Amino acid sequence: MQVVQSNVTNKFTGSVINYMASDTQHTDICLWLDAVATSRDKAAFTQLFHFFAPKILHISQSKLFDKSLANEVVQETMTNVWKKAHLFNSTKGAPTTWVFTIMRNVTFDILRKLQSNKEDNLSEDIWPMIEDQAIEDEPFSDHIEQKNILAVIDKLPKNQQEVIQAYYFMEMSQEQLAQHLDLPLGTVKSRLRLALSKLKEHLGEKE
Amino acid sequence: MINHHPKLNLLIQHVNGELPASISAGIKIHSDMCKQCSEQIAELTKHEAKLSFSQTNVDDAEFGFDVDALINDITQTQPEPEVIPDNKPVAVTFRGVTYTLPNVMKHMELGKPAQIGKLSRSRILLDEGHIHSSLLRIEAGGGIPEHTHNGYEITLLLEGNFKDDMGEYVPGDFIVLDGNHQHQPVSEQGCLCYTVVSDSLHFTQGINKLLNPIGSFIY
Repeated sequence: MQVVQSNVTNKFTGSVINYMASDTQHTDICLWLDAVATSRDKAAFTQLFHFFAPKILHISQSKLFDKSLANEVVQETMTNVWKKAHLFNSTKGAPTTWVFTIMRNVTFDILRKLQSNKEDNLSEDIWPMIEDQAIEDEPFSDHIEQKNILAVIDKLPKNQQEVIQAYYFMEMSQEQLAQHLDLPLGTVKSRLRLALSKLKEHLGEKE
Repeated sequence: MINHHPKLNLLIQHVNGELPASISAGIKIHSDMCKQCSEQIAELTKHEAKLSFSQTNVDDAEFGFDVDALINDITQTQPEPEVIPDNKPVAVTFRGVTYTLPNVMKHMELGKPAQIGKLSRSRILLDEGHIHSSLLRIEAGGGIPEHTHNGYEITLLLEGNFKDDMGEYVPGDFIVLDGNHQHQPVSEQGCLCYTVVSDSLHFTQGINKLLNPIGSFIY
């Protein structure tokens, strides 16, 4: 417990934390997981099994004080690693963290079944595996929206495209724009107005 | 602003899945509303994972099954399709007022609402023995008589506000009280709380007998 606390303190004071797992190990695990995800590679899964299963057994035995339950945790966790490998995203966290959350969730549900006789699998609601992804994916929908707009802008006459792009995407003021294009301010304003009403028309058609 | 957060040791136990479902659900509700705690939970999870999988003295693992056969079995199963979680909000109604409940409660069964005065309560049927969880609603102007606790009482304010002699609370506040505290919460505008109580409440003022029904009502 103390080790964890001092590590956390280190994090907040900004110093580098040394972990025992080496970088090569980390890369290997990522490669194995990827091979399982993309080509259902049995050899890669066997490697993952030999890396994780003994550790999971050890942790579960010390937590559950029961050999057969600990074995159940190993089997259930490793089955989930196989089944869900394609849902792991290495840009969103370490593979060890991902396997740890699977193991923690499996153990939690087994314990709850034992203690409260409930098979409600609440772990998925308390620690959703794909929730963070959903939150981070939100800008993506904006991205699609933006692509739509860009396609519509492409349909505008060239002089209108110019003002829209400069005004909205480069965030120039109308005055700067007039100067930049060497046009009277009034012309810039009317082109913007015209371009906007055309944009609305095009976007409206799509709905 | 949220002022009351779960303590670090509670967060570590949460990350390791060592708390009762009721308390971990309370922490989940809080961390969904509190960026600071949600980031700390992510950080702690990373640490615990590193610690767990950096053990080196596990070569002598004795599995209770045939490893090769298990690997064969597992690798014949189909990958799981990605399921988008159903985040349809769940709601509860107390005396005509409907509240949307946190996502973490979507698979929790609720008991029938019961009333005493300005208090309404619905049990959350988690079956955790002496740990009782409830949704507790205080109507505007209502409160709970001064009491202390034999065990602990965790209150997660979901909506509205209430105050006691220690201060005012806002939605998201994670309030832990035990036998060292005495309080008399009142809610001016009404509120809805998620509560986890480990033992019956103990009223500290003279008319204990009269208040006993409320004690068991809230526990």
